[in-house]
Amino acid sequence: MCGQRRVVVTGTGAVTPIGNDVETFWSSLKEGKSGLGTVEIKDFPQELANELQIKIGCQVKDFDPKARIKNRLAQLADRYSHFAVAAAAEAFAQSKLETPLKNPYRSACIIGSGAGGLNTIEYAYSQLFTTNRRAGDPLMLLKFIGSSAAAHVGIDYGIKGPTFGTVSACATASHAIGLLYQYIKNGMVDVGVAGASESALSYGSMKAWQAMRVLSPDGCFPFSKKRNGTVLAEGAGVMVMEDLEHAKARGANILAEVKGFGMASDAKDMVNPTLEGPQEAMRQALEDAGLAPCDIDYLNAHGTATKLNDVNETRAIRSVFGNATGKLAVSSTKSMTGHLLGASGGVEAIACVKAIQDGFVPATIGLTEADPECDLDYTPNVGRAKRITHAMSNSFAFGGLNAVLVFGPSPA
Amino acid sequence: MDDVAIKIIDILKRHMKNPRDDITLETPLLDLEIESLDLAMIVFDVEDTFGIEIPYNANEEEVGDFKTVGSVTDRVRMLVEAKAAKAAGGEAEGAALQGA
Repeated sequence: MCGQRRVVVTGTGAVTPIGNDVETFWSSLKEGKSGLGTVEIKDFPQELANELQIKIGCQVKDFDPKARIKNRLAQLADRYSHFAVAAAAEAFAQSKLETPLKNPYRSACIIGSGAGGLNTIEYAYSQLFTTNRRAGDPLMLLKFIGSSAAAHVGIDYGIKGPTFGTVSACATASHAIGLLYQYIKNGMVDVGVAGASESALSYGSMKAWQAMRVLSPDGCFPFSKKRNGTVLAEGAGVMVMEDLEHAKARGANILAEVKGFGMASDAKDMVNPTLEGPQEAMRQALEDAGLAPCDIDYLNAHGTATKLNDVNETRAIRSVFGNATGKLAVSSTKSMTGHLLGASGGVEAIACVKAIQDGFVPATIGLTEADPECDLDYTPNVGRAKRITHAMSNSFAFGGLNAVLVFGPSPA
Repeated sequence: MDDVAIKIIDILKRHMKNPRDDITLETPLLDLEIESLDLAMIVFDVEDTFGIEIPYNANEEEVGDFKTVGSVTDRVRMLVEAKAAKAAGGEAEGAALQGA
């Protein structure tokens, strides 16, 4: 629309079970690589780990906080903050923004998490309750609260404007990116970093998820007939975003544009999704982007491989896209990364940006036989080259919290 | 109704919105207005009460798949017996090793 500010992406950073930086992550997605393995819980009695009914997950491998993180206090933080700080460092390095930022109050840092510093709190409470220590850890509070990652990153780059974390389960990162997009578009800030981080593969968390009975003992097979639940993962995905004119003025290399954001809630049930909420979020994102359904070339689905989500999402996509469904390429990258929970929207937004830049649709792996009720083009097993002008990313969370983003090519 | 059935009906009543006193083995589970989250909590309680592990996956089975209260008690009874057999087998093995 005329006169409106436009929001562009100038940096991306990721720490994932299939790559601890964006290029490795994207190569792995193109190759159809899976991050699945037996969960190894560090410093944890193997006898207890052996008792877990579900032993698989997608963990970040070979991540060294000392190598990736400069700030000493951040090095002592929870693993979830480590991922966020490392991802932010990659994103800012790519953006080539001068830091500390020049107009600090005109910048924002919105980095959320579904569960925050779960590893810290579990360890600290186990010490407190089982060994009668006088306190968990003097830094426990700073490490476990869901705002630590945002605070650490804000400190690293001198961000003095809005700095906080979003919390909306699997929609956390998408909400963070969407809010920053709105703040820049509405003129509140000119630049910022947004996304989310999650590291919730602790013993207690695995037990808690198992008790909900939604995890698969076999793997994450979105849209597949054999799908039987999701697989937990950890990691972080963040993007540096700025006002288009701000980016052009400093000669920034623009990766993509954030064109639209929609958020709508089911207001119905804590676990069973409605059709209406996801439909409305997708519709709003398209309207905000000023696009028609046929303008979307690639849709990165929420695709968690639960019985309910995949069929509901299929129906919602069909109803929003109508006749344009035929030419839409869809895939769930959770088939490779697993479900990064709060951080999933962050890494999936980055997958959309890379898909646009590279003209490539990553596959839904493990899709040997599709569920007849999931009848869209889910790019089974092997990714493909396709000219992608616009991409959409869906995130539909527990409690019916839906957030959808639309990305377009660099306007420059 | 045996001890297993009585305990299970108790657990079901604890997790129902409107607990009924007329639940029998023939009562269809769907009649009890149990939703998927209730089922997760019921399974958890049953596991605790009987010291067993129930391999239940919400993606593969729904409330409706259990049909009746009787089918739930049958499943639990099977798991309790399997657990006892495993323990007895272990003891017998241990005794045999000691004897040898």
